[in-house]
Amino acid sequence: MSSLREELRLLRHGRDWRGRARVPRSARRWALPDDGDGFPTEWARTAAAGVLRSALQRGVLKPVTWSQTRPVVHGREYLESVRGPAIFIANHSSHLDTPLILGALPPRITENLAVGAAADYFYDSRALAAVTTLLFNTFPVDRRAPRRSRSLAADLVDEGWSLLLYPEGGRSVEGLLTGFKLGAAQLCAKKRVPAVPIALRGTFAAMPRGRRWPLPGRPRVTVRIGRPLCIRPDEGVPDFRTRLVRAVATLWAEDDLGWYGALRAAADDSLALPSGVSGVLPTTVAGQPAEGRDMAPWRRIWEASRPPANDS
Amino acid sequence: MGRPGFVLDVDERTPPLLMHEGEGFRLERLPMGSRVIYPPDSLPGIVNLEAAIRHALVHPHGSDPLQQLLRRGMRLTIVFDDLSLPLPPMRTPDVRQRVIEQVLEMAAAAGVDDVELIAANSLHRRMTPAELKRTVGERVFRAFHPGALRNHDAEDPDNLAHLGTTPHGEDVEINRRAAESDLVVYVNITLTAMNGGSKSVAVGLASYASLRHHHNVHTLRHSRSFNDPPNSAMHQSYDRMADLIGGHVPVFTIETTLNNSTFPTALRFLTRREWEWNLTDQAGYLAVKRSNDLATSKLRHRIWQSTEAPYGVTGVHAGAPSEVHPHTLAAVHRQQLTEVDGQADVAVFGLPYICPYNVNSIMNPILVMSLGLGYFFNLYRGKPIVRQGGVAIFYHPMPPEFHPVHHPSYIDFYELLAETTDPVMLETKYEKQFATDPWYIHLYRTSYAYHGVHPFYMWYWGAHAMQHLGDVIFVGGDRSTTARLGFRAASSLADALELASGTVGRDPQISYLHAPPMVLADVR
Repeated sequence: MSSLREELRLLRHGRDWRGRARVPRSARRWALPDDGDGFPTEWARTAAAGVLRSALQRGVLKPVTWSQTRPVVHGREYLESVRGPAIFIANHSSHLDTPLILGALPPRITENLAVGAAADYFYDSRALAAVTTLLFNTFPVDRRAPRRSRSLAADLVDEGWSLLLYPEGGRSVEGLLTGFKLGAAQLCAKKRVPAVPIALRGTFAAMPRGRRWPLPGRPRVTVRIGRPLCIRPDEGVPDFRTRLVRAVATLWAEDDLGWYGALRAAADDSLALPSGVSGVLPTTVAGQPAEGRDMAPWRRIWEASRPPANDS
Repeated sequence: MGRPGFVLDVDERTPPLLMHEGEGFRLERLPMGSRVIYPPDSLPGIVNLEAAIRHALVHPHGSDPLQQLLRRGMRLTIVFDDLSLPLPPMRTPDVRQRVIEQVLEMAAAAGVDDVELIAANSLHRRMTPAELKRTVGERVFRAFHPGALRNHDAEDPDNLAHLGTTPHGEDVEINRRAAESDLVVYVNITLTAMNGGSKSVAVGLASYASLRHHHNVHTLRHSRSFNDPPNSAMHQSYDRMADLIGGHVPVFTIETTLNNSTFPTALRFLTRREWEWNLTDQAGYLAVKRSNDLATSKLRHRIWQSTEAPYGVTGVHAGAPSEVHPHTLAAVHRQQLTEVDGQADVAVFGLPYICPYNVNSIMNPILVMSLGLGYFFNLYRGKPIVRQGGVAIFYHPMPPEFHPVHHPSYIDFYELLAETTDPVMLETKYEKQFATDPWYIHLYRTSYAYHGVHPFYMWYWGAHAMQHLGDVIFVGGDRSTTARLGFRAASSLADALELASGTVGRDPQISYLHAPPMVLADVR
């Protein structure tokens, strides 16, 4: 008979602190939809919850985040033109991303911002769901069968909320930029609201998957906010999505190429853009476009975990 | 609609997987790259079963509606599958009860007085009155037991009728009451693809003289598998016999199929995919596992044997046996079939606590062998899960325990295995002696013993696997018992793979058949 400790060790193997196991790759196709359907989030969008959340974000979240990292924020000025609901879209490779973006955006926007959160991750346990919902004003997004959550996102826009969405569908495993799903672009098209691209660099190096706290030494991170983009009358949703990817990739490349260099690279169509789940580095340090998928796995992680340049 | 069955490739994300091992279970980490064959999700059961049964009786396949077959003054015999089906026993009311009650309602309405009910136990042990009552229900039991509700007796010469021989020279001898009836209504549960169809009457009501034509080493070795009737020599023999029986007595069969709700809610983690276990499942696993491990073997046995499956019924089809069975098989395949690409070098099976012959009894080593090398190995269509010359690894403690009342001839058969484990040798030298032993016959007829020849049949059940496999290893198996059976024991999977490396090398392709619940591997 095996010992209780041995039993627990086996039971815990491959599971996170909440007892959840990742879906084996070959089983993904048959993964159960896990949409956090049973957890209400309306309460988090009440005025009282908003007041409490603002206090927590400004009094705790931002000071802690800013004390553990050295964020550099660019492009706040582009937000002056944003009036009414907008869809903020960003690349995603770390749990640091949301606190950084919330800290980087002005209060008039964050007070009216809801964040799409993976239902299968954040809404798996009620305690975690409650904390996340209160602190970040999240709503569940089902990453596999997004019909229901998309309609919730649309309802929120109708109610006047701006949304922060991560169109890659989850944190990038290797820290690279991966393809965008159609949902965010579709929402912009359907609701005729602008999309605001945001690129985050250094968060993968500061706190990649598997870490619960940033690395010591206040790693440098950058938050680059781009100009709001609206879908053109003659533009299809897939084309708009491509434009969004290009906008984020351009912002990403600014750390390596500088603002003008990145603009030139985008104009020359020399930025590597992702498609599907395979990640790419829009640029290398040397400014040479490099498709991440052609690189050895260690090189992809090496480049993605390179801290942003100091002078950017 | 539930998800279909699928084959998991074990990767670094895969948590340890559940493995049955007799009256216990464990989590096991399989080597990376191993494949795991999962059954489809449990299908929803029919909500209005009463209506479904009635519809089947009124709109049968290849037959007039049952009401039209019933008439005043006729001799009606209702035959039903015995306690070997389903596994575990289903939560009451048993679907057989619900079918039989509707048949009897129709018979009563038609004014049929001469009605008898017979359990199709063939050479299995007789069902006790309590087991009969559980199967047919209180109302039927009270109305018919003991005079008109009884077990089939395959050793009562006065109550057997020899109907002739098939073109292949196979004797067909079945229960006289059934053979001389105006109508036989057979009530079946098809748990696996081997059940039902021609097997029902041709086996369930047969005698040794008839059974020996298909329950033998040659036929079993040419039944590949016996869960794939078109490729099963055994089922071809059943078909020939059923044709002959059909020429003597009309048979109206009602076949039912079940979903994969094999375990009650408290054990639901046994039926869920491990990476989908929530905290409740994990707590359930830990609580049940620890309690089970700490319990005395007697208590453990009692608890497992009292487990009832909350099965749902997925299909009810009635009519002429040959017309009904294809529908039944389709329903079984919908619930159990999983496509698998290619064979493995090593097949892994976790053997549960129950097989058709230890309901309310003990799983002795011969039954373990029959469950593993017979039933589980043959859960395939097309090709075996493991290649010719490959290795099968089973999980079972295989204690040398026997039920003295239910399995007396097994105890003596176990002694024979010290001399030889060769099925042909055992068949040639000892089968007839055991089959005709007066003491075994007496125990079969008057006590609750399996027939004297039954352990031979169980051994033959594994004859195809024994011929096919290069090695057989039991993880956790009692060393002396496994050695007696001609197999090897290992203390862990790593040890088993080490032992197997001499046959399949150090980097074998491994396939684990994740059952129960039932899964039939469609190996391409």
